[in-house]
Amino acid sequence: MSDEILTDKYVENSTRAIEDDILQGALGKIQSGLAKATQASYRQLDEGPELRMTAHDIREKTINNLDVVLTQLAAKVRENGGKVYFAKTAEQAVAYTLDVARQFKVKQVVKGKSMVSEEIGLNPALEAQGIEVNETDLGEYIIQVAGEKPSHIIAPAIHKTREQVGRLFAEHLGVPYTDDPPELTRIARKALRDKFLQADMGISGCNLACAETGHMTVVSNEGNIRMSTTLPRVHVAIMGMERVVANLEDHDILFRLLSRGAAAQKLGGCVSYIGGPGGPDFPDGPEAFHLVILDNGRSRILADPKFREILYCIRCSACLNACPVYGKIGGHAYGATYCGPIGAVLTPLMVGMNKAKDLCLGETLCGACRQACSVNIDLPRMLLELRYRLAYGDDDWQTKQVSPLEKTIHQAWAFLAGHPALYRAFLKAGAMGQKVFPKYRGMIRKMPGPVVGWTRDRDIQPLAHTPFRERFKTLSSKKVR
Amino acid sequence: MPIHTNETQFIHDIRAALGIRANNSDARQKEIFTDPAQPPEAQQMLLDTICARQHSDRMDLLDRLSREAVPLNLKVIPMKNEAEAAKAIAGLVADTTPEWGDKKSVVQWDHPMIKALALDSALKDQNVPVYTAAFDGSETSHNQKNLKRDQIREQVTASYIGVTSADFCLADTATLVMRSRPAEARSVSLLPSIHVAVIRKEQILSDMKELYALLKFDPDTRGKGLPHHMVMISGPSKTADIELVMVHGAHGPRALYLYVITGE
Amino acid sequence: MAHATLFIQCIVDGMYPEVGEAMVRLFQRLGITMDYPENQTCCGQPSFNSGYRKEAAKAAKHYIETFENAGTIVCPSGSCVSMIRNHYPELFEDEPGWRERAERVGKRTFELTEYLVDVLGFKNTGAYFNGKVTYHDSCHLNRYLGVSSQPRELIRRVAGLTFVEMEASDKCCGFGGAFSTKYPDISTALVKEKVQNILDSGADAVVGCDMGCLMNIQGYLNRHNYPVRVMHIAQLLAGVKGDAA
Repeated sequence: MSDEILTDKYVENSTRAIEDDILQGALGKIQSGLAKATQASYRQLDEGPELRMTAHDIREKTINNLDVVLTQLAAKVRENGGKVYFAKTAEQAVAYTLDVARQFKVKQVVKGKSMVSEEIGLNPALEAQGIEVNETDLGEYIIQVAGEKPSHIIAPAIHKTREQVGRLFAEHLGVPYTDDPPELTRIARKALRDKFLQADMGISGCNLACAETGHMTVVSNEGNIRMSTTLPRVHVAIMGMERVVANLEDHDILFRLLSRGAAAQKLGGCVSYIGGPGGPDFPDGPEAFHLVILDNGRSRILADPKFREILYCIRCSACLNACPVYGKIGGHAYGATYCGPIGAVLTPLMVGMNKAKDLCLGETLCGACRQACSVNIDLPRMLLELRYRLAYGDDDWQTKQVSPLEKTIHQAWAFLAGHPALYRAFLKAGAMGQKVFPKYRGMIRKMPGPVVGWTRDRDIQPLAHTPFRERFKTLSSKKVR
Repeated sequence: MPIHTNETQFIHDIRAALGIRANNSDARQKEIFTDPAQPPEAQQMLLDTICARQHSDRMDLLDRLSREAVPLNLKVIPMKNEAEAAKAIAGLVADTTPEWGDKKSVVQWDHPMIKALALDSALKDQNVPVYTAAFDGSETSHNQKNLKRDQIREQVTASYIGVTSADFCLADTATLVMRSRPAEARSVSLLPSIHVAVIRKEQILSDMKELYALLKFDPDTRGKGLPHHMVMISGPSKTADIELVMVHGAHGPRALYLYVITGE
Repeated sequence: MAHATLFIQCIVDGMYPEVGEAMVRLFQRLGITMDYPENQTCCGQPSFNSGYRKEAAKAAKHYIETFENAGTIVCPSGSCVSMIRNHYPELFEDEPGWRERAERVGKRTFELTEYLVDVLGFKNTGAYFNGKVTYHDSCHLNRYLGVSSQPRELIRRVAGLTFVEMEASDKCCGFGGAFSTKYPDISTALVKEKVQNILDSGADAVVGCDMGCLMNIQGYLNRHNYPVRVMHIAQLLAGVKGDAA
């Protein structure tokens, strides 16, 4: 990835996020509202929440046949007059896009929100060529003006208050200060309309391409993607190679789930199918359409049967809205393009399990993400799988053992678990050893060593002098009360 | 300039990742892609329902559409016929002002239903020009087409109301479905501040499931396949990116009026 | 006559033996006979959650050997039962013999409230508690075992008790096993929110079915001197009228 990877700063970034009251308020709003609303919207489906299982099967079949599906997609897009480029790496995707920009003498770009374009570091590369890049999704526009990175997949500027946005716009756009969201939106609407009309190139991501018909699709509520992909002379769409369905009717199910997972909506406000330029008979629309299909580590994930399932993701962000950890630390703490539970699995697989170890270890495995996932992906299973690879190391993934010391401790515990007499003796010794620690209302206040993190903010229960196993005989002979 | 597309190596890497050694792409192709000529039972039932729809069913759908439209800020207005609709649109023009500037103009599709509105005469006494965003057949050379395109762009940009029809309307999600045709410019429903759409009640479907059943499995609707572009619009744009406060009217039209010709 | 073989997990055996005692008293009152294999140790969950599957498999094998001849095994822990039922088979992917044995013993291992309500059909246990009680849904019990109505059925029928649902009862308390010591800031932030929800409910006591969660919640309550009692459901149901407060 060309983005700066800060996954090793997970702990300190999390701490900073937890102390940020504004961020905490914003995250609380997303989670208390959206997560419940999404669950309700799944229940309101004609087919009920079980539709997510059907969607899972559709995605599984598509991914398991991705070679055939992508071949068909490319052939059909070309029939529609579009051009297709297969980018193995981020660098190739960027180079191709720059080539197209040169070809069309592009000076200004308008962009719809695209996580994959963040993943490959497209904006800085365009800007380095002197091309002006205008993010048009309101949230992305705000953070572009602020010089920050998105903190959520669907609502990138959710960490900013209206006052902050008001000050930002006043400073950078020279408009009078206002903190009224409709007024702020109107300001962005006017500023961006000019950009849409002047831009030479529109860049978008892709929600779910359709191989059967040869189209990519984009879904938005703001209308900015429609603007960006209709008005400029050339449209470049970048898609992760897994973001495709085989059959047109699959879209019915997946769009209904995507919209609910993302924003508890029945359907996103604007869905566009784009397969190519209109050609000489059409009075408007771009003259050229280029679809860039990106690998960038996805085929490696595909090759590992335990992790292949993560490629079923359709980037709805329902898991972010349900995750209690994300709800405390926000998106920036994950230090990479993809955050939340999807990021906790995907990022280690893309940047390295050791480098991103805190993302998969720093989760509680509560399972809320799996319950929320619009395509029923078993995210906790893959988090456990990542921990397994880290525990022993994995040559296929160039992963080193995360902690040989910890492994030794677990080996010792396993040994004890298989030797009951020693197990009992060990616990007895521990109970005696803990006598040195002062207690308050029966609990230990301070204890150094591995649980120092716990005892900083919480008391801890000491080991009992007489464990249950020593009490049972007496108990079972007592009379019933 | 021809660019090597990397397709062969890319697909080869995917096959390797999937552990596919045999050259069974053709067999798998048949297995993965469903046949439009063989709708499964559920899809056939949807097609049959659509076919069997009666007048009263259609009026029910219109009711449902009207209800679903409310939170999406879509205004659904039943009209007896095109003449009534034209009068209503003239009233709308009289009651509204442009978002930018003060010169009013209207842009429209080259479409039979829109032509039947005769908007240029309906708006004559308000002195509001009506532009048709389409080639008129006189453009033969490449250059002439380009000039016309520029002119259309200027007119669409300057107009504060865009008038279109649509292919379908989905009641459940209040969605207008528009497949692109040369006479039906995309930007007419995109650039103006107000989008006016005129359809017949017969064009209203129940929901997404019916739409996709038609697009995929109904020979008439499917035709030669989807054109290069299709859009599905459910109300004017909106955003909640600032503190999750819902704001109606982000980019593109901030108001959407749907006139449904009912015949009564 | 119902008979249960007890699996008393390490955290109760070693740190909260009174919870195990409560479960025994409860079973005695309900006329359930019990046996307790003395050689039981740990189900292996801590190792599994941290990725140490080979070590977890060793503990699992010990559990299987200890319990596979039992009729019905009952354990006062949702997370341990989830480990045994949901994950033991995958520990033995390459050892079909052990896998079968794991699946068999998993089918016969129950969490306490599952056992009382689903297996035995008890809802009213004759318990008594004077006060307001709220219930915390532990993640593994709720999402991995699907148990959320059973504890509520039991709690609602405790005489003298007023049941109040807290806000977000099913939101994670931040324990997550080793997570609570390795990522203390996030863990504390979560338990702080959980405790706030408990306090806001007005409850005198918070009840749960997993001691890991309850230990976490109690640790925070104790540190901040909040007067809310923390009880495992076994302790709540073991109480009868006339018990000392």
